[in-house]
Amino acid sequence: MAIGSVGVATAVPRPSLRARLSELLDRENWLGPIFVSPALVLLLLLVAYPFCMALYFSVSNAFIGRPSNFIGIRNFVRLWESDAFRQTFQNAFVFCGLAVGAKIVLGISLALLLNQQLWFKRMIRGAVLLPWVIPTALSTLGWSWMFNSLYSVVNWTLLAIGIIDPPGPNWLGQKYYAMAAVIIVNIWRGLPFFAITLLAGLVAIPKELYEAAEADGAGPIARFWHVTLPLLKPVLAVVLLFSTIFTFNDFNIVYVLTRGGPVNSTHLFATLAYQTGLAGGNLGQGAAISLFMLPLLGLVVFFQLRYIRRE
Amino acid sequence: MITGVRSRGARVRSTMFGYANLVPFVFFALFPFYFMLITSFKSNAELYSLKSVPLWIQNGAITDHYRYLFGRTEFLTWIKNSLIISVAATSISLVIAVLAGYSLARLRFRGVGSFGTAVFITYLVPPTLLFLPLSQVVNWLGISDSIWALIVTYPTFLVPFSTWLLMGYFRTIPREIEECALVDGASRMQTLLRIALPMAIPGIVCVVLFGFTLTWNEFIYALTFVSQSTSKTAIVGVTADLIRGDIYYWGSLMAGAVLASVPVVACYVFFLDYYVSGLTAGAVKG
Amino acid sequence: MAAITRRRFLTTTASTGLAGILATGVPPARGQQREVLYLCWNNFAPLSDKKLSEIGQRFTKDTGIKLKIDHINAEQQPAKYASEVQTQAGHDLIEMRMHFPWLYEPQLVDVGDIVADLEKKYGKAISSAEETAKVRGTWRAVPQYHAMFVATYREDLFKKAGLKIPDTWEDLYVAGKELKKMGHPIGIPINQNLDSISTAGPILWSLGGMEVDRDGKTVRINSPQTAQLIEWYRKMFKDCMEPEVLSWDNASNNQSIQQGKAGWIHNPVSAYIVAKQMKLPTGDTINHHRTPGGPNGRHETDAPRHIGIWKFSKNVEPGKEFIRYLLGKPEVYNEYIMSGDAFNLPAYEKLQDHAVLKTDPKYAALKSEGVQYHAYGWPAPPSDRVQLITNSFILPIMLAKAVTGTSTKDAMAWADNEMKKIIAG
Repeated sequence: MAIGSVGVATAVPRPSLRARLSELLDRENWLGPIFVSPALVLLLLLVAYPFCMALYFSVSNAFIGRPSNFIGIRNFVRLWESDAFRQTFQNAFVFCGLAVGAKIVLGISLALLLNQQLWFKRMIRGAVLLPWVIPTALSTLGWSWMFNSLYSVVNWTLLAIGIIDPPGPNWLGQKYYAMAAVIIVNIWRGLPFFAITLLAGLVAIPKELYEAAEADGAGPIARFWHVTLPLLKPVLAVVLLFSTIFTFNDFNIVYVLTRGGPVNSTHLFATLAYQTGLAGGNLGQGAAISLFMLPLLGLVVFFQLRYIRRE
Repeated sequence: MITGVRSRGARVRSTMFGYANLVPFVFFALFPFYFMLITSFKSNAELYSLKSVPLWIQNGAITDHYRYLFGRTEFLTWIKNSLIISVAATSISLVIAVLAGYSLARLRFRGVGSFGTAVFITYLVPPTLLFLPLSQVVNWLGISDSIWALIVTYPTFLVPFSTWLLMGYFRTIPREIEECALVDGASRMQTLLRIALPMAIPGIVCVVLFGFTLTWNEFIYALTFVSQSTSKTAIVGVTADLIRGDIYYWGSLMAGAVLASVPVVACYVFFLDYYVSGLTAGAVKG
Repeated sequence: MAAITRRRFLTTTASTGLAGILATGVPPARGQQREVLYLCWNNFAPLSDKKLSEIGQRFTKDTGIKLKIDHINAEQQPAKYASEVQTQAGHDLIEMRMHFPWLYEPQLVDVGDIVADLEKKYGKAISSAEETAKVRGTWRAVPQYHAMFVATYREDLFKKAGLKIPDTWEDLYVAGKELKKMGHPIGIPINQNLDSISTAGPILWSLGGMEVDRDGKTVRINSPQTAQLIEWYRKMFKDCMEPEVLSWDNASNNQSIQQGKAGWIHNPVSAYIVAKQMKLPTGDTINHHRTPGGPNGRHETDAPRHIGIWKFSKNVEPGKEFIRYLLGKPEVYNEYIMSGDAFNLPAYEKLQDHAVLKTDPKYAALKSEGVQYHAYGWPAPPSDRVQLITNSFILPIMLAKAVTGTSTKDAMAWADNEMKKIIAG
């Protein structure tokens, strides 16, 4: 057993306590729990408890400032009958599917491009990473100004090039354009994460494999398909997992740009929950909306993790 | 047999092709900032005129929006608050995550496997709903309406990911080195501090950057837990004071957005390589 | 070396522990010195906020009660209020706009005594203030000021085309056709925001229609009056407006008239005031006229703002003293209103012809004789179910559907169904 060394310059009194503590800290089955306890306390108090409260809200008729009663799954049932909720459900899948899909394709492309020998590598990587780094609440405001119904620079440019006819689409106010706008901003914000992470995966692939494939006569596309992609799968799975969760629960982008409109066509679970629970005061319904997807997401996470662990 | 040696011309062409393909990505990434930047320097007359060209400044750059930001709002105080909060919250998260990550990676005891899954579960619940019961806890702790509320609650979304990342790093440190140190008479603490930690520096830098970014950008907790103007964070302050009812002070908003982004960008410029390697190591080392 | 690091480790954990947090983070004990915390919104007029803080300092000097005022964005109010209610801690006085007294009724102190005094001095509170601040017979907040919507138009364009100032909503259609031909269409948003409801409401009311009846339970949206409303919006959308109004947010109509496009909008006085402040060319040409009417009279959307006191506050009496100081003294109340540059108008009958309206001839129409003010959802009382109908924007969504192809019958049936679902709870 290691003897805890007592420092020469000890200024703290009670050496016996210190010796006892130092001995304690060396026993593995004490040390482990002690080390983990701050994290555990934090998570229990500030995550588990609020989570349980949110669960309780969702099965009660909680309303701001009023006493609440348990009502079982009535909130969830009522949600399914609500037009706005069904639309939100559809929106979430469309938004997530298209945004994540685009991020995968563009992310891999960008990663491949960044993987070349480049001058200004650091600057280019930095530039590419910028959207991810900047506070979303502020950059989305910038995009809101860019999509402004009157002063949109996007429309101005497209008009100037001649692609569209005046006056140009109302990006934030027309049904499908609004979804396109929020997806574009989500891609803009999330692409760096994909690209940089996938880049690391690419860098880890040994060059010899490529050279061997080339020697075997494989063209660039074949090399990509048979060498790059399979070896990228583990990294891709992890990035996909994180991105799916974050995109599904996205709040800021939709809230700042469209508030869920027009006609609920861009509402996501988080924004609808905010509108129902906070602006409307109906905490029970708001919680139910937020937690609706939890079981499904939980399953997705579970299977993804199993896949990653197996690899 | 012809091996993969290509002619010089082909290589130059493919490099040019590579650069050319990067241009749209870089443009897409940077254009909004360029636009926010020039908007912050445009005069109101030009900004709100349908006849002006939005892509550059035509009538001369003005600093009015910045002067309004500094003179009529408490912008500098907000930046100071954000800095304090981000540094404090990140430091706390780092300490907690290092301890937890090390023990989960090294020390044998039950519950290690399920921790990974638990990490993801904590991220599944949207913070837009968690914050209400969380505000109760904050109030119970006696720290509501102060920056301490944020310093205490921010680690909740930093610690899980940071722990998981550092776990991955610590696992890659060969056990033999630590065993040697233990045999030599070092305690576990010393091993952690003097051997494991230095080897996990990239992961630590990544955690620090990640923490700084997320805490700097956080919005809803900062909004609800702090009301005093002198305690607001940069983002809450900018969106609160510069949007009054249906009036958006676009020029100053963009100025605020640009300036509020500077500290985070500065971090990245210095630590970009660490961030890239750290972010990816978690994924690759898993 | 090891000892120092171990000590550092222990002190770090201690300082991140509860003890450390409480030791450094506890706010100074309140209740020893009387102190009132007031949370209010960022006023349209920044000068009004400054004046409020000035008055607050004078209050402290005169009474010895410390007053601290925090400001918050209107958008951020629901989240902040919800958290204060949940934790039963926070501020003492809070700004209660529009229907908030109904939403937070169980949490608000009965302030009937203060309102009775004010009404004795200034006459009855205006209709929209009473409808919103008096919940089931008890005053839960003290009305202070209001900002109503008013017709805002380009005087020069009307003169140029020899157009008559619209007195009814039908007149507006006639004028609108001409305006659109001149390239300055009318700008009424039809989207998921409050400005859209703020126009649709008055028109529906002027036709004698309503969303939910006075009892707060019966849905009356499926009616001939609503059909008339839809017809009016359809012809306005086709002949007087441009499709972009389907995408407008609350600021868009302001922007449109400020930069010279729209010829007529429906908005509070903010559009004109901002144009004046930013010295835009349109600042000189914008003017206001009285809200148009219909067969059932002239009705207008109003945003009354009140001051409420949380029940959990430990400073109820000092809080009431401040309210009496701010609103009970005519000189102070007047000073406060004057600083608002016609954004904030007094909420009591005898003060309607206020001096602030004379500071600019273009404010004349804000006197709004013969106009009845209501909050959203009138005539139903703004209970939480009715508020949910408002916040779900069912009325403008119905109109958006109708002007983009849905039949009148289907649109009304949809709205009827949605509203009934919400009322059923």
